[in-house]
Amino acid sequence: MIADFATSIGARMLTVARATGSYGLLFSSVIREFPKRPFYFKLTVEQIYHIGIKSIGIVFVTAFSTGMVMALQFGLGLEKFGGKLYVPKIVSLSIVREIAPVFCSLMLAARVGAGIASELGSMTVTQQIDAIRALGTSPIKRVVIPRILACLIAVPLLAAIGNFIGIAGALIVGVSELGLDPMFFVQKVLTTVVITDFVTGCLKTFFFAFFISVTSCYFGLNVKGGTQGVGNATRAAVVTSSIMILIGDFFLTKAFFLMFEK
Amino acid sequence: MTAPMTNNSEIVAEFKDFRKSFGSKEVHKGVSFQLKKGECLGLLGGSGQGKSVILRSLIGLEKPDSGQVLIEGQDIVPMNEEQLIEIRKKVAYVFQNGALFDSMSVYENLAYPLRAHTNMQEDEIRQRIRELLAEFGLSGNEQVSPAALSGGMQKRVGLARSIIMQPKIVLYDEPTAGLDPYNTIRIQEMILRLKAKGVSAIFVTHDMPSAFAVCDRIALLFEGRIQAVGTREQLEQQPDSKLTRFVRGLEV
Repeated sequence: MIADFATSIGARMLTVARATGSYGLLFSSVIREFPKRPFYFKLTVEQIYHIGIKSIGIVFVTAFSTGMVMALQFGLGLEKFGGKLYVPKIVSLSIVREIAPVFCSLMLAARVGAGIASELGSMTVTQQIDAIRALGTSPIKRVVIPRILACLIAVPLLAAIGNFIGIAGALIVGVSELGLDPMFFVQKVLTTVVITDFVTGCLKTFFFAFFISVTSCYFGLNVKGGTQGVGNATRAAVVTSSIMILIGDFFLTKAFFLMFEK
Repeated sequence: MTAPMTNNSEIVAEFKDFRKSFGSKEVHKGVSFQLKKGECLGLLGGSGQGKSVILRSLIGLEKPDSGQVLIEGQDIVPMNEEQLIEIRKKVAYVFQNGALFDSMSVYENLAYPLRAHTNMQEDEIRQRIRELLAEFGLSGNEQVSPAALSGGMQKRVGLARSIIMQPKIVLYDEPTAGLDPYNTIRIQEMILRLKAKGVSAIFVTHDMPSAFAVCDRIALLFEGRIQAVGTREQLEQQPDSKLTRFVRGLEV
């Protein structure tokens, strides 16, 4: 029984080690092939449309509802201690530094990550990825790099939009539910949130975009076992990139704190 | 039953002691055979014997554990993806289900290799595609999505896309599987037309009438090795050989 347990643990560790190695190989292929011709500008623009423009709705809903809920929770909580006036400061800082970048990225990991993993997974099981190679072209250049580039461009922009939408949601609740003056709210936001807060929040999403795109491409390209494998790869891509975002957020917050708060 | 000795200049592809395992299962235990210039070699074998892996290895989509895969005398096993591009321009692969890019139209699928590897102008590409589609009986389908085509038409488009770069060798992975007699005959005609132009081919199939219709020689892959190679006449002369027994559906 102990031997079985040890074998099972060993097999799992081997699988993780193999996956980490393959992930690293994919990343190194991307770096190696990135500067080489041809450049698929049209495909990249198409991906920016699919990943960026088509995700505005989900980012709007996520940021707006989160901003509203935060304003309500902080407002009702702080009202007991006479601290209602601090709501604009607390909510805007939370949104810009953490909530908008992380929540928007998590939603995009679900929407975009699942889309990339399932699309590439389907291409793998229907031998379209093999066909790209068999026709003397590179799936890394044609399929992977446009998606990574599109994510690196679209995700920070979406998070930046999410900041404004989140604060707008908080403003509406602040005015309608907490009775705050709208000018007071806006003035407090502008005097509290500095450019560093905004930049560090957006910089984080640059890393999150990388986690989402590379992880999703990795799982999509390594699908095994037909359509069931596509489902497994999609689930693994969303879960793994979400975990990477959550864990990465701590280290990035710490790093940016050390860099900018001195 | 073995093939007669061949002049080296006539050999366009060769497998030498090809060995490959999947997990703990050794599928290929030293596969060796040669493909001559302008011939069509049928590769038969039961399911799971590794026929497709042989084809995939000929364009570097798979690497053996040991052994050599020679294309025009050049071992492609140690080549990286960049070096394999030149090989893949010479050797075309016809996938079992066409493997057409479903995000592109038929026209875009056919234009894909031309845009990637030639400096042809769009007018020339259009002309080339129009001619090829007419030759394959697919005129008028340029803007159709692959998903809207029948299985037989998808295979024909797949074949057209594979040969648009005018390769020297074509690898057919069960091109007639699941097709009705009409489409099967169309595919056979296209393969024979290419053969008449001097294109060499390896034809993996379970479809015996098609194999006999298009192949010059037939090889049997069984238990990880090429057990027999011969012409149809040689098969008929040796009714109790492994290859003949396989073709007749008897136990090998």
